[in-house]
Amino acid sequence: MNGDFLALLPKQGPLPQLGPQAAAVVQLQATTVFAFHCAEGIIIAGDHRATAGNLVFSDKTEKILELDSHSLMAIAGVPATAFEMARTLQTSFEFYRRSQLQAMSLPAKIRALSQLLRNNLAGTIQGFGLVAPIFAGAEVNEPEARPQIHFYDPLGAQFEAVNYAGSGSGSGSIKAVLSFLEKWGNPRPADMSLPQACSLANRLLITAAEFDTATGGVQPDKRNFATIKVVSRSGIRNISTDEQDQFWKNNGEHR
Amino acid sequence: MTEEPYRWLEAIGNRREYIREQMKGGTPVFAVSRPEGILLLGVGIGHSKIFEIYDRHGLAALGHPVDIEKLRQAAIEAAHMEGFSRNPKDVTLRRLISFALSTMLKHSFEQIFAPPFIVESVWAELGDAPGHDVLVRVHHDGNHTWDTTGVLLAHCDDAKEKDALEWLRKQFQPDHPLEHVAAICLVAWQTLVDDKPFADLKVPDNPPRSIPGKKLEAALLDRKMNGPVHYRELEIK
Repeated sequence: MNGDFLALLPKQGPLPQLGPQAAAVVQLQATTVFAFHCAEGIIIAGDHRATAGNLVFSDKTEKILELDSHSLMAIAGVPATAFEMARTLQTSFEFYRRSQLQAMSLPAKIRALSQLLRNNLAGTIQGFGLVAPIFAGAEVNEPEARPQIHFYDPLGAQFEAVNYAGSGSGSGSIKAVLSFLEKWGNPRPADMSLPQACSLANRLLITAAEFDTATGGVQPDKRNFATIKVVSRSGIRNISTDEQDQFWKNNGEHR
Repeated sequence: MTEEPYRWLEAIGNRREYIREQMKGGTPVFAVSRPEGILLLGVGIGHSKIFEIYDRHGLAALGHPVDIEKLRQAAIEAAHMEGFSRNPKDVTLRRLISFALSTMLKHSFEQIFAPPFIVESVWAELGDAPGHDVLVRVHHDGNHTWDTTGVLLAHCDDAKEKDALEWLRKQFQPDHPLEHVAAICLVAWQTLVDDKPFADLKVPDNPPRSIPGKKLEAALLDRKMNGPVHYRELEIK
Protein backbone atom coordinates (compact mmCIF):
# COMPACT_ATOMS: atom_id res chain seq x y z
CA MET A 1 0.00 0.00 0.00
CA ASN A 2 1.61 3.25 -1.07
CA GLY A 3 -1.28 5.60 -0.34
CA ASP A 4 -1.61 6.55 -4.01
CA PHE A 5 -5.29 6.96 -4.78
CA LEU A 6 -4.66 7.50 -8.49
CA ALA A 7 -3.25 3.99 -8.71
CA LEU A 8 -6.69 2.66 -7.80
CA LEU A 9 -8.44 4.44 -10.62
CA PRO A 10 -9.08 2.90 -14.04
CA LYS A 11 -6.21 3.30 -16.50
CA GLN A 12 -7.90 5.94 -18.62
CA GLY A 13 -7.71 8.24 -15.60
CA PRO A 14 -10.29 10.38 -13.89
CA LEU A 15 -10.15 13.32 -16.25
CA PRO A 16 -12.38 13.74 -19.30
CA GLN A 17 -11.10 12.20 -22.52
CA LEU A 18 -12.32 13.99 -25.59
CA GLY A 19 -12.03 12.88 -29.20
CA PRO A 20 -10.74 14.60 -32.33
CA GLN A 21 -13.78 16.88 -32.55
CA ALA A 22 -12.92 18.48 -29.24
CA ALA A 23 -12.14 21.79 -30.90
CA ALA A 24 -15.88 22.31 -31.22
CA VAL A 25 -16.34 22.30 -27.45
CA VAL A 26 -17.37 25.69 -26.04
CA GLN A 27 -14.61 27.13 -23.89
CA LEU A 28 -15.34 28.30 -20.36
CA GLN A 29 -12.06 29.72 -19.20
CA ALA A 30 -12.31 33.41 -18.40
CA THR A 31 -12.07 34.22 -14.72
CA THR A 32 -9.99 35.95 -12.05
CA VAL A 33 -8.42 34.29 -9.06
CA PHE A 34 -5.43 35.40 -7.03
CA ALA A 35 -3.56 34.85 -3.78
CA PHE A 36 -1.24 37.00 -1.70
CA HIS A 37 0.47 36.83 1.64
CA CYS A 38 -0.93 38.92 4.47
CA ALA A 39 -0.12 39.10 8.18
CA GLU A 40 -2.46 36.22 9.03
CA GLY A 41 -1.41 33.81 6.31
CA ILE A 42 -2.41 33.62 2.68
CA ILE A 43 -5.51 35.31 1.30
CA ILE A 44 -6.88 33.48 -1.71
CA ALA A 45 -9.80 35.02 -3.54
CA GLY A 46 -11.84 34.82 -6.70
CA ASP A 47 -14.82 36.33 -8.41
CA HIS A 48 -18.02 34.40 -9.08
CA ARG A 49 -18.37 34.72 -12.83
CA ALA A 50 -18.08 31.92 -15.36
CA THR A 51 -18.34 32.79 -19.04
CA ALA A 52 -18.82 30.90 -22.27
CA GLY A 53 -17.52 33.08 -25.07
CA ASN A 54 -19.37 36.35 -24.75
CA LEU A 55 -22.09 34.83 -22.56
CA VAL A 56 -22.20 35.05 -18.78
CA PHE A 57 -22.63 31.39 -17.91
CA SER A 58 -23.01 31.88 -14.16
CA ASP A 59 -22.43 34.60 -11.55
CA LYS A 60 -22.49 32.16 -8.63
CA THR A 61 -19.45 30.02 -9.35
CA GLU A 62 -17.17 28.97 -6.50
CA LYS A 63 -13.61 28.96 -7.75
CA ILE A 64 -11.71 28.63 -4.47
CA LEU A 65 -11.85 24.99 -3.50
CA GLU A 66 -10.67 23.37 -0.27
CA LEU A 67 -8.54 20.34 -1.01
CA ASP A 68 -8.01 19.39 2.62
CA SER A 69 -7.69 21.07 6.01
CA HIS A 70 -4.53 22.98 5.01
CA SER A 71 -4.60 23.42 1.24
CA LEU A 72 -6.64 25.34 -1.29
CA MET A 73 -6.85 25.48 -5.06
CA ALA A 74 -8.06 28.45 -7.06
CA ILE A 75 -9.24 27.38 -10.46
CA ALA A 76 -8.87 29.20 -13.74
CA GLY A 77 -9.46 27.50 -17.03
CA VAL A 78 -11.98 24.98 -18.27
CA PRO A 79 -14.26 24.25 -15.29
CA ALA A 80 -14.97 20.63 -16.21
CA THR A 81 -11.30 19.76 -16.04
CA ALA A 82 -10.49 22.07 -13.14
CA PHE A 83 -13.30 20.81 -10.89
CA GLU A 84 -12.36 17.21 -11.67
CA MET A 85 -8.74 17.93 -10.79
CA ALA A 86 -9.82 19.44 -7.49
CA ARG A 87 -12.05 16.47 -6.71
CA THR A 88 -9.25 14.05 -7.56
CA LEU A 89 -6.85 15.89 -5.28
CA GLN A 90 -9.38 16.09 -2.43
CA THR A 91 -9.82 12.33 -2.51
CA SER A 92 -6.09 11.68 -3.02
CA PHE A 93 -5.01 13.78 -0.04
CA GLU A 94 -7.60 12.28 2.32
CA PHE A 95 -6.90 8.78 1.04
CA TYR A 96 -3.20 9.23 1.72
CA ARG A 97 -3.78 10.69 5.20
CA ARG A 98 -6.13 7.92 6.23
CA SER A 99 -4.28 5.00 4.71
CA GLN A 100 -0.77 6.12 5.71
CA LEU A 101 -1.84 7.56 9.09
CA GLN A 102 -0.03 10.81 8.38
CA ALA A 103 -0.74 13.88 6.30
CA MET A 104 0.85 14.19 2.88
CA SER A 105 3.71 16.71 2.85
CA LEU A 106 3.15 20.11 1.27
CA PRO A 107 5.71 19.51 -1.53
CA ALA A 108 3.93 16.26 -2.41
CA LYS A 109 0.57 18.04 -2.61
CA ILE A 110 2.07 20.73 -4.83
CA ARG A 111 3.57 18.05 -7.04
CA ALA A 112 0.29 16.10 -7.20
CA LEU A 113 -1.42 19.05 -8.88
CA SER A 114 1.52 19.41 -11.24
CA GLN A 115 1.17 15.75 -12.16
CA LEU A 116 -2.54 16.12 -12.95
CA LEU A 117 -1.81 19.10 -15.19
CA ARG A 118 0.89 17.18 -17.02
CA ASN A 119 -1.45 14.21 -17.48
CA ASN A 120 -3.90 16.64 -19.07
CA LEU A 121 -1.38 17.49 -21.76
CA ALA A 122 -3.61 16.39 -24.66
CA GLY A 123 -6.50 18.57 -23.49
CA THR A 124 -4.17 21.52 -22.93
CA ILE A 125 -2.53 21.31 -26.35
CA GLN A 126 -5.85 20.91 -28.14
CA GLY A 127 -7.20 23.87 -26.23
CA PHE A 128 -10.36 22.34 -24.81
CA GLY A 129 -9.02 21.41 -21.36
CA LEU A 130 -6.65 24.18 -20.40
CA VAL A 131 -6.32 24.78 -16.64
CA ALA A 132 -3.98 27.27 -14.92
CA PRO A 133 -4.60 26.96 -11.18
CA ILE A 134 -3.12 28.51 -8.07
CA PHE A 135 -2.32 26.38 -5.04
CA ALA A 136 -2.01 27.74 -1.50
CA GLY A 137 -1.17 25.58 1.45
CA ALA A 138 0.52 25.19 4.82
CA GLU A 139 2.71 22.31 5.92
CA VAL A 140 0.80 20.20 8.44
CA ASN A 141 3.91 18.30 9.53
CA GLU A 142 5.96 21.47 10.17
CA PRO A 143 3.75 23.90 12.09
CA GLU A 144 6.41 26.64 12.06
CA ALA A 145 6.84 26.65 8.26
CA ARG A 146 5.49 29.62 6.30
CA PRO A 147 2.44 28.91 4.13
CA GLN A 148 3.21 28.83 0.40
CA ILE A 149 1.61 30.05 -2.82
CA HIS A 150 2.34 28.17 -6.03
CA PHE A 151 1.17 28.92 -9.54
CA TYR A 152 1.34 26.63 -12.53
CA ASP A 153 1.56 26.83 -16.25
CA PRO A 154 -1.01 24.71 -18.10
CA LEU A 155 1.61 22.02 -18.81
CA GLY A 156 2.30 21.44 -15.13
CA ALA A 157 5.38 23.53 -14.37
CA GLN A 158 5.10 24.90 -10.84
CA PHE A 159 6.49 28.13 -9.46
CA GLU A 160 6.46 29.43 -5.93
CA ALA A 161 5.17 32.97 -5.64
CA VAL A 162 7.16 35.08 -3.22
CA ASN A 163 4.37 37.58 -2.55
CA TYR A 164 1.38 36.97 -4.82
CA ALA A 165 0.02 35.05 -7.79
CA GLY A 166 -2.91 35.55 -10.13
CA SER A 167 -4.56 33.57 -12.86
CA GLY A 168 -7.33 34.06 -15.38
CA SER A 169 -8.26 36.78 -17.81
CA GLY A 170 -8.56 39.53 -15.20
CA SER A 171 -5.40 38.71 -13.32
CA GLY A 172 -3.13 41.07 -15.27
CA SER A 173 -4.48 44.23 -13.70
CA ILE A 174 -4.58 42.61 -10.26
CA LYS A 175 -0.95 41.53 -10.46
CA ALA A 176 0.01 45.04 -11.56
CA VAL A 177 -1.71 46.57 -8.53
CA LEU A 178 -0.24 44.00 -6.14
CA SER A 179 3.23 44.59 -7.58
CA PHE A 180 2.80 48.32 -7.04
CA LEU A 181 1.56 47.86 -3.48
CA GLU A 182 4.37 45.46 -2.58
CA LYS A 183 6.89 48.13 -3.60
CA TRP A 184 5.22 51.33 -2.49
CA GLY A 185 2.19 50.38 -0.45
CA ASN A 186 1.83 51.42 3.16
CA PRO A 187 1.12 48.92 4.52
CA ARG A 188 2.36 46.38 1.98
CA PRO A 189 -0.17 43.57 1.36
CA ALA A 190 2.11 41.13 3.19
CA ASP A 191 1.81 43.29 6.33
CA MET A 192 -1.93 43.87 6.13
CA SER A 193 -4.33 42.70 8.80
CA LEU A 194 -7.14 40.37 7.77
CA PRO A 195 -9.79 43.14 7.45
CA GLN A 196 -7.42 45.24 5.34
CA ALA A 197 -6.46 42.29 3.16
CA CYS A 198 -10.09 41.25 2.60
CA SER A 199 -11.09 44.75 1.59
CA LEU A 200 -8.10 44.90 -0.74
CA ALA A 201 -9.14 41.59 -2.32
CA ASN A 202 -12.60 42.96 -3.07
CA ARG A 203 -11.18 46.21 -4.41
CA LEU A 204 -8.82 44.26 -6.67
CA LEU A 205 -11.68 42.29 -8.17
CA ILE A 206 -13.73 45.42 -8.74
CA THR A 207 -10.70 46.93 -10.48
CA ALA A 208 -10.23 43.84 -12.62
CA ALA A 209 -13.90 43.91 -13.61
CA GLU A 210 -13.39 47.41 -15.01
CA PHE A 211 -11.12 45.99 -17.70
CA ASP A 212 -12.29 42.41 -18.10
CA THR A 213 -15.87 41.48 -18.95
CA ALA A 214 -15.25 37.92 -17.75
CA THR A 215 -14.65 39.10 -14.18
CA GLY A 216 -17.71 40.00 -12.15
CA GLY A 217 -20.13 39.34 -9.37
CA VAL A 218 -18.45 41.53 -6.73
CA GLN A 219 -20.75 44.37 -5.70
CA PRO A 220 -20.24 45.37 -2.05
CA ASP A 221 -23.22 47.76 -2.17
CA LYS A 222 -25.43 44.75 -2.82
CA ARG A 223 -23.55 42.56 -0.33
CA ASN A 224 -22.07 40.52 -3.15
CA PHE A 225 -18.49 39.88 -2.12
CA ALA A 226 -15.64 37.78 -3.43
CA THR A 227 -15.01 34.24 -2.31
CA ILE A 228 -12.20 34.73 0.18
CA LYS A 229 -10.43 32.08 2.21
CA VAL A 230 -7.38 32.32 4.43
CA VAL A 231 -4.93 29.49 4.87
CA SER A 232 -2.46 29.54 7.72
CA ARG A 233 -0.72 27.10 10.04
CA SER A 234 -3.94 26.66 11.96
CA GLY A 235 -5.88 25.63 8.86
CA ILE A 236 -8.39 27.21 6.52
CA ARG A 237 -10.81 29.96 7.38
CA ASN A 238 -13.68 30.95 5.15
CA ILE A 239 -14.42 34.69 5.30
CA SER A 240 -18.20 34.97 5.29
CA THR A 241 -20.28 37.62 3.57
CA ASP A 242 -21.12 39.18 6.95
CA GLU A 243 -17.44 39.43 7.89
CA GLN A 244 -16.51 40.91 4.53
CA ASP A 245 -19.35 43.40 4.81
CA GLN A 246 -18.10 44.42 8.24
CA PHE A 247 -14.51 44.73 7.05
CA TRP A 248 -15.62 46.73 4.05
CA LYS A 249 -17.61 49.18 6.16
CA ASN A 250 -15.04 49.47 8.95
CA ASN A 251 -12.28 50.31 6.52
CA GLY A 252 -14.38 53.25 5.36
CA GLU A 253 -14.65 51.88 1.89
CA HIS A 254 -18.42 51.85 1.73
CA ARG A 255 -19.53 54.33 -0.91
CA MET B 1 -14.93 -38.62 -2.00
CA THR B 2 -17.52 -39.24 0.71
CA GLU B 3 -15.00 -38.12 3.27
CA GLU B 4 -14.45 -34.66 1.67
CA PRO B 5 -17.36 -32.76 3.31
CA TYR B 6 -16.34 -34.14 6.67
CA ARG B 7 -12.74 -33.11 6.10
CA TRP B 8 -13.88 -29.65 5.10
CA LEU B 9 -16.04 -29.29 8.22
CA GLU B 10 -13.19 -30.52 10.34
CA ALA B 11 -10.81 -28.09 8.70
CA ILE B 12 -13.21 -25.21 9.33
CA GLY B 13 -13.56 -26.30 12.95
CA ASN B 14 -9.80 -26.41 13.30
CA ARG B 15 -9.63 -23.00 11.74
CA ARG B 16 -12.04 -21.53 14.29
CA GLU B 17 -10.00 -23.11 17.05
CA TYR B 18 -6.81 -21.66 15.57
CA ILE B 19 -8.30 -18.17 15.37
CA ARG B 20 -9.65 -18.40 18.93
CA GLU B 21 -6.19 -19.40 20.12
CA GLN B 22 -4.53 -16.58 18.21
CA MET B 23 -7.00 -14.03 19.57
CA LYS B 24 -6.26 -14.94 23.19
CA GLY B 25 -4.78 -12.02 25.02
CA GLY B 26 -6.50 -9.53 22.78
CA THR B 27 -8.14 -6.68 24.66
CA PRO B 28 -11.61 -5.29 23.91
CA VAL B 29 -12.55 -2.22 21.89
CA PHE B 30 -15.69 -0.12 22.29
CA ALA B 31 -18.05 2.06 20.25
CA VAL B 32 -20.68 4.21 21.97
CA SER B 33 -23.17 6.49 20.26
CA ARG B 34 -23.55 9.76 22.18
CA PRO B 35 -25.16 13.16 21.56
CA GLU B 36 -21.70 14.57 20.73
CA GLY B 37 -20.95 11.81 18.24
CA ILE B 38 -19.64 8.26 18.33
CA LEU B 39 -16.89 7.47 20.81
CA LEU B 40 -14.41 4.79 19.75
CA LEU B 41 -12.11 3.49 22.44
CA GLY B 42 -9.41 0.89 22.93
CA VAL B 43 -6.20 0.37 24.84
CA GLY B 44 -3.24 -0.09 22.54
CA ILE B 45 0.07 1.44 21.53
CA GLY B 46 -1.16 4.35 19.41
CA HIS B 47 -2.71 3.90 15.96
CA SER B 48 -3.16 0.22 16.62
CA LYS B 49 -6.85 -0.23 17.42
CA ILE B 50 -8.86 2.87 16.53
CA PHE B 51 -8.88 4.17 12.97
CA GLU B 52 -10.48 6.68 10.65
CA ILE B 53 -11.97 5.08 7.55
CA TYR B 54 -13.86 7.83 5.78
CA ASP B 55 -15.55 11.18 6.43
CA ARG B 56 -18.14 9.76 8.87
CA HIS B 57 -16.72 6.29 9.43
CA GLY B 58 -14.45 4.74 12.00
CA LEU B 59 -13.14 1.32 12.98
CA ALA B 60 -12.17 -0.23 16.31
CA ALA B 61 -10.49 -3.62 16.07
CA LEU B 62 -8.47 -6.20 17.92
CA GLY B 63 -6.48 -9.08 16.52
CA HIS B 64 -3.34 -9.57 14.51
CA PRO B 65 -1.89 -6.16 13.57
CA VAL B 66 -1.19 -7.23 10.00
CA ASP B 67 -4.75 -8.46 9.50
CA ILE B 68 -6.21 -5.32 11.06
CA GLU B 69 -4.08 -3.36 8.62
CA LYS B 70 -5.26 -5.42 5.63
CA LEU B 71 -8.89 -4.99 6.63
CA ARG B 72 -8.43 -1.28 7.27
CA GLN B 73 -6.74 -0.71 3.91
CA ALA B 74 -9.46 -2.67 2.09
CA ALA B 75 -12.15 -0.57 3.76
CA ILE B 76 -10.38 2.73 3.05
CA GLU B 77 -9.89 1.81 -0.61
CA ALA B 78 -13.50 0.72 -1.07
CA ALA B 79 -14.85 3.80 0.72
CA HIS B 80 -12.72 6.26 -1.26
CA MET B 81 -13.48 4.63 -4.60
CA GLU B 82 -17.18 4.77 -3.80
CA GLY B 83 -17.02 8.36 -2.57
CA PHE B 84 -15.05 9.44 -5.62
CA SER B 85 -17.17 7.55 -8.17
CA ARG B 86 -20.48 8.66 -6.69
CA ASN B 87 -20.65 10.94 -3.65
CA PRO B 88 -19.33 10.81 -0.08
CA LYS B 89 -22.94 10.45 1.07
CA ASP B 90 -23.14 7.17 -0.82
CA VAL B 91 -20.45 5.66 1.38
CA THR B 92 -22.43 3.68 3.94
CA LEU B 93 -21.59 0.82 6.26
CA ARG B 94 -24.59 -1.05 4.86
CA ARG B 95 -22.92 -1.27 1.46
CA LEU B 96 -19.31 -1.33 2.66
CA ILE B 97 -19.80 -4.26 4.99
CA SER B 98 -22.54 -6.19 3.22
CA PHE B 99 -21.00 -6.13 -0.23
CA ALA B 100 -17.28 -5.65 0.27
CA LEU B 101 -15.78 -6.49 3.63
CA SER B 102 -17.92 -9.34 4.95
CA THR B 103 -17.64 -11.14 1.61
CA MET B 104 -13.87 -10.78 1.71
CA LEU B 105 -13.70 -12.02 5.33
CA LYS B 106 -15.94 -15.03 4.69
CA HIS B 107 -14.02 -15.94 1.57
CA SER B 108 -10.74 -15.70 3.43
CA PHE B 109 -12.08 -17.74 6.35
CA GLU B 110 -13.26 -20.57 4.11
CA GLN B 111 -10.12 -20.78 2.00
CA ILE B 112 -8.64 -23.48 4.16
CA PHE B 113 -5.24 -23.48 2.47
CA ALA B 114 -4.73 -19.74 3.00
CA PRO B 115 -4.33 -17.88 6.28
CA PRO B 116 -7.54 -16.38 7.70
CA PHE B 117 -8.10 -12.86 9.00
CA ILE B 118 -7.53 -12.81 12.74
CA VAL B 119 -9.62 -9.74 13.46
CA GLU B 120 -12.68 -8.89 15.54
CA SER B 121 -14.05 -5.44 14.88
CA VAL B 122 -16.64 -2.77 15.50
CA TRP B 123 -17.53 -0.30 12.75
CA ALA B 124 -19.21 3.06 13.22
CA GLU B 125 -21.04 5.44 10.91
CA LEU B 126 -22.00 8.88 12.16
CA GLY B 127 -25.54 10.09 11.51
CA ASP B 128 -27.14 13.52 11.94
CA ALA B 129 -28.50 12.45 15.34
CA PRO B 130 -27.73 9.56 17.72
CA GLY B 131 -30.77 7.70 16.41
CA HIS B 132 -29.24 7.70 12.93
CA ASP B 133 -25.83 6.39 14.00
CA VAL B 134 -24.93 2.94 12.73
CA LEU B 135 -22.78 0.49 14.68
CA VAL B 136 -21.85 -2.92 13.31
CA ARG B 137 -20.07 -5.83 14.93
CA VAL B 138 -18.06 -7.73 12.33
CA HIS B 139 -16.57 -11.13 13.18
CA HIS B 140 -13.48 -12.80 11.75
CA ASP B 141 -15.58 -15.01 9.45
CA GLY B 142 -17.54 -12.13 7.92
CA ASN B 143 -20.59 -12.68 10.09
CA HIS B 144 -21.92 -9.32 11.21
CA THR B 145 -24.70 -7.88 13.34
CA TRP B 146 -26.26 -4.43 13.20
CA ASP B 147 -26.67 -2.77 16.56
CA THR B 148 -29.75 -0.82 17.57
CA THR B 149 -28.76 0.13 21.13
CA GLY B 150 -25.93 2.57 20.48
CA VAL B 151 -23.38 0.52 22.42
CA LEU B 152 -21.11 -2.13 20.99
CA LEU B 153 -17.86 -3.84 21.82
CA ALA B 154 -15.62 -6.47 20.31
CA HIS B 155 -13.68 -8.97 22.39
CA CYS B 156 -11.91 -12.26 21.84
CA ASP B 157 -14.43 -14.24 23.94
CA ASP B 158 -18.05 -14.21 22.75
CA ALA B 159 -19.64 -15.11 26.10
CA LYS B 160 -17.71 -12.49 28.04
CA GLU B 161 -18.38 -9.95 25.30
CA LYS B 162 -22.11 -10.57 25.71
CA ASP B 163 -21.94 -10.12 29.50
CA ALA B 164 -19.95 -6.93 29.16
CA LEU B 165 -22.36 -5.58 26.57
CA GLU B 166 -25.40 -6.20 28.76
CA TRP B 167 -23.70 -4.48 31.66
CA LEU B 168 -22.50 -1.53 29.59
CA ARG B 169 -25.90 -0.84 28.07
CA LYS B 170 -27.33 -0.29 31.56
CA GLN B 171 -24.63 2.15 32.64
CA PHE B 172 -24.85 5.09 30.24
CA GLN B 173 -27.07 8.09 30.84
CA PRO B 174 -27.78 10.72 28.18
CA ASP B 175 -26.17 13.47 30.27
CA HIS B 176 -22.91 11.65 30.90
CA PRO B 177 -19.95 13.62 29.59
CA LEU B 178 -17.67 11.80 27.14
CA GLU B 179 -14.92 11.45 29.75
CA HIS B 180 -17.31 9.58 32.03
CA VAL B 181 -18.51 7.36 29.17
CA ALA B 182 -14.88 6.54 28.41
CA ALA B 183 -14.23 5.81 32.09
CA ILE B 184 -17.16 3.36 32.21
CA CYS B 185 -15.72 1.62 29.14
CA LEU B 186 -12.39 1.38 30.95
CA VAL B 187 -14.11 -0.29 33.92
CA ALA B 188 -15.53 -2.87 31.51
CA TRP B 189 -12.12 -3.18 29.82
CA GLN B 190 -10.36 -3.90 33.11
CA THR B 191 -13.04 -6.38 34.17
CA LEU B 192 -12.74 -8.30 30.89
CA VAL B 193 -8.96 -8.31 31.00
CA ASP B 194 -8.98 -9.46 34.65
CA ASP B 195 -11.56 -12.11 33.69
CA LYS B 196 -13.95 -11.06 36.47
CA PRO B 197 -17.76 -11.35 36.45
CA PHE B 198 -20.06 -8.45 35.55
CA ALA B 199 -22.94 -9.62 37.75
CA ASP B 200 -22.33 -7.33 40.73
CA LEU B 201 -19.96 -4.88 39.09
CA LYS B 202 -20.51 -1.24 40.05
CA VAL B 203 -18.97 1.84 38.48
CA PRO B 204 -16.74 3.43 41.13
CA ASP B 205 -17.43 7.00 42.27
CA ASN B 206 -14.23 8.11 40.56
CA PRO B 207 -13.85 5.69 37.67
CA PRO B 208 -10.40 5.39 36.06
CA ARG B 209 -9.44 7.75 33.23
CA SER B 210 -6.42 5.67 32.27
CA ILE B 211 -4.90 2.22 32.58
CA PRO B 212 -1.49 2.27 34.31
CA GLY B 213 1.29 1.37 31.88
CA LYS B 214 -1.06 1.35 28.87
CA LYS B 215 -1.94 3.88 26.21
CA LEU B 216 -5.55 4.85 25.80
CA GLU B 217 -6.65 5.20 22.19
CA ALA B 218 -9.82 7.20 21.74
CA ALA B 219 -11.49 9.01 18.87
CA LEU B 220 -14.74 10.82 18.32
CA LEU B 221 -16.79 10.90 15.15
CA ASP B 222 -17.80 14.42 16.01
CA ARG B 223 -21.32 15.46 15.04
CA LYS B 224 -20.50 19.18 15.29
CA MET B 225 -17.30 19.31 13.26
CA ASN B 226 -17.50 21.63 10.27
CA GLY B 227 -16.54 20.31 6.86
CA PRO B 228 -16.70 16.81 5.47
CA VAL B 229 -14.31 15.13 7.93
CA HIS B 230 -15.86 14.27 11.31
CA TYR B 231 -13.19 12.03 12.83
CA ARG B 232 -10.85 13.41 15.45
CA GLU B 233 -8.56 11.85 17.98
CA LEU B 234 -9.68 12.38 21.54
CA GLU B 235 -7.59 12.94 24.62
CA ILE B 236 -9.34 11.61 27.71
CA LYS B 237 -8.48 13.63 30.81
